[in-house]
Amino acid sequence: MNTPESIAKKNRAALALLLVAFVLAGILLSLPTYTFTSSLYTKKSANTFVGDEKYQEVRTEVEQVLEQYRQDGLSVELRENVTERTNSKGKTTSMVAFSIDQEFTKNGWSFLGSGLPSAWVLTGMIVCLAMAVACALAGTLGSMRDACRDLDGRAIAFRSAAMYLTLIALVLVPVFFMTNTYALSRRVGLYTAETITAGKDAFFAQMDNFLFDGQAGESIGDMLAGLSFKNTGLTWLMLPCVAAMLIAAIQLRRGAITHTLVRGLMYAFVIVLCLFILYPYYVMLVTGFRSSAETNDMYFLHIFPTEWQFSNLKGIIDRGVLRYLLNSLLIAGGATVIALLCGIPAAYAMARMKFKGKNVFLGFVIVSQMFSPVVLLIGIAQLMSALHLNDSILGLMLINAAFNQAFAIWLLRGTFVSISPEMEQASRIDGCTVMGSLIRVLLPMAAPGIVTTLIFVFINAWNEYTISTVLISTAANRPITVGITQFSSFNMIEWHNLFAASLLATIPVVILFMCIEKHLTSGLTAGGVKG
Amino acid sequence: MNKKLQRKIMPYIWLLPSIALMAIFVIFPIMIVFKLSVSEVSKAGIVGGFVGLKNFKDAIALPAFKTVMLNTLYWVISVVGLSTVLGFIIAMVLNQKFHGRKIARAILVLPWATSLVIQASVWNYIIKYEYGNLNNILLNLGIIKEAINWRASYQIEFIWECGVGIFVTIPFVAFCVLSGLQSIDNSLYEAADIDGATFWDKLWRITVPLVKPSLTVSTVLNIIYVFNSFPIIYTMTKGAPSNKTDTLVTYLYMLNFYDRQKGPATALSVIGFLVLCLCAGIYMVGVMRKEEDL
Repeated sequence: MNTPESIAKKNRAALALLLVAFVLAGILLSLPTYTFTSSLYTKKSANTFVGDEKYQEVRTEVEQVLEQYRQDGLSVELRENVTERTNSKGKTTSMVAFSIDQEFTKNGWSFLGSGLPSAWVLTGMIVCLAMAVACALAGTLGSMRDACRDLDGRAIAFRSAAMYLTLIALVLVPVFFMTNTYALSRRVGLYTAETITAGKDAFFAQMDNFLFDGQAGESIGDMLAGLSFKNTGLTWLMLPCVAAMLIAAIQLRRGAITHTLVRGLMYAFVIVLCLFILYPYYVMLVTGFRSSAETNDMYFLHIFPTEWQFSNLKGIIDRGVLRYLLNSLLIAGGATVIALLCGIPAAYAMARMKFKGKNVFLGFVIVSQMFSPVVLLIGIAQLMSALHLNDSILGLMLINAAFNQAFAIWLLRGTFVSISPEMEQASRIDGCTVMGSLIRVLLPMAAPGIVTTLIFVFINAWNEYTISTVLISTAANRPITVGITQFSSFNMIEWHNLFAASLLATIPVVILFMCIEKHLTSGLTAGGVKG
Repeated sequence: MNKKLQRKIMPYIWLLPSIALMAIFVIFPIMIVFKLSVSEVSKAGIVGGFVGLKNFKDAIALPAFKTVMLNTLYWVISVVGLSTVLGFIIAMVLNQKFHGRKIARAILVLPWATSLVIQASVWNYIIKYEYGNLNNILLNLGIIKEAINWRASYQIEFIWECGVGIFVTIPFVAFCVLSGLQSIDNSLYEAADIDGATFWDKLWRITVPLVKPSLTVSTVLNIIYVFNSFPIIYTMTKGAPSNKTDTLVTYLYMLNFYDRQKGPATALSVIGFLVLCLCAGIYMVGVMRKEEDL
């Protein structure tokens, strides 16, 4: 079945399908996609029946206006709308509404360059499709006629690219439809109903250029107010076309289609997951640089701030954020140093020495890993005030060090155990003390594990909130996690300041965490998991 | 003789700083909490005489006690359960070889590395009705036509809080499972392929049994972390309305530091502590059994 000839035939068929579907998609884009109707003039006449004297009078008047519009060279149309109603006394009243409408259809191509949001989607779609065709062509060259069982890597890459590009284009078709129908009507509605300044002028200018070739000028607001539009449904015919292209591209991609689809789904999953995880950080970023008015604006329409307010940073620094960051650095740094100074000897003893009660201590360490400080808040608060360590940075250092002790010992013990003791023994024979061999031999070898532990403890202490919020009452001693809460009181939350400060608090730890990400899995295995 | 003694004492000296640190700052608070829970405590925090189990009776008699306990249960079960399932799936995907895997893993770390109070603030803003970012984005994309009230009732707010809890817990589970997955020998899968095993066969017969130890550890640790999770609820609702969205830790915080009902608060502390000890005990048994296996 899979002879070179049959594969070549399949390739030819797939390529032909791809090209035909591409051309068809192009033709569909040239067909009228949207019908816009804009009322230029309306006249309502109450108590008027079709054909009576008043009707004739109004109609002549409207027809004169119509004639004027025609003379201006517009293709306009007269519409009349009759509403009849019977009132409670059984008497029938009628109202006639005349309107002069300008109707125009727009095809897909005319969206390009209009500057509207849907134009960007459409451009992306067309570029994807064209690139997909180019990739498919490049990846099929030479495999049209004969043996092509073992394609070289480049051809496979081209074919995969063709497949993914059409996949993206396929997704963009409904997006194009949506941005036109919903987003456009919403923008038109919002901008004409309310006096919103941000982006309004630009949008109106774009619509003027797109619909009226820039002729509407000042009256564009009124013309948009009477605008209605409907989708002719041709956009949806793009879907089967692009789907056909996708199938052809998958056919070109040698190997099981299911495999390809599974890979595609996997990439889609990962991308969606990453976007979802990044979403709060995006919100933090854009909100942190908005002005205070914009964060509370219900009609704020933009994905990004209209103007990046870097002055927010200055504002929060004036309100002591640098001091809080410094406190956090002191607390986390101090906690890390204390935790390691106490933890390294303990871990060394656990890894290298034999003694009674080792298992008891082991069990104790495991159990104390369970005790979060939160449930013991009341006890800690009492203890610290007894030791006169409440409201002090030193107190927070010690508490953080103590509650991270178990984890530090675990991680370090795992690292030490994995290093063979021979080197130390050799150094001992050469006359080193235990301490000397630990510092000169073991610690340098265990450096990666120590760095992981260090960063771990640092991050835990940096992000700690609950204990600090209980223990610290002086503003100058607050760590950043508590410090940012000054921007949110019960009745007023300064979102822009809150998130600008959050950004400053997040970035250092995120960078640190990314550094140890590689060791994270091995660290967990060594510490918590292999227990 | 002297040297022998030295060798015997040596390990304890090495352990001393660590033991001292933990004894002062971990064991002492535990003892204080236990002592307070059976003593009379005035509103100003002055400790009186022994009152037996009065504080516990008071705590159980609190009107919000049942709601808070149920909430804690829902909170722990939903967050731990769902984040374990989702984290497992994500770890399975991230264990595959694909382009950008390193980037994806680095991104996955983010929620873990971010302070909970910051995460909770961001989500608190995202789901605001009037100007929240979720409505803004959805309106912009044209998916909805008018703003949706994402926090119409306290039940929905509690569900959001659980959602944020899941969001921040997933990375920990995923990385634990990943460390388990990476230790699985690939030849097992190759052998299964030769025997014609399907995807599900491989999942249930190879992957799950071999990942089970790391999954158990991550689940038990998660139960403890989630049980103690304070900032999410405190930031998003502060337990409002009338403790309907409180869990044990936020409730005891409010009780002790705002309502000044210190007696019942310490009793709740002890209850929470005992629950954690139970978890720790189960974990210990599990770990010991594994040590025997090794």
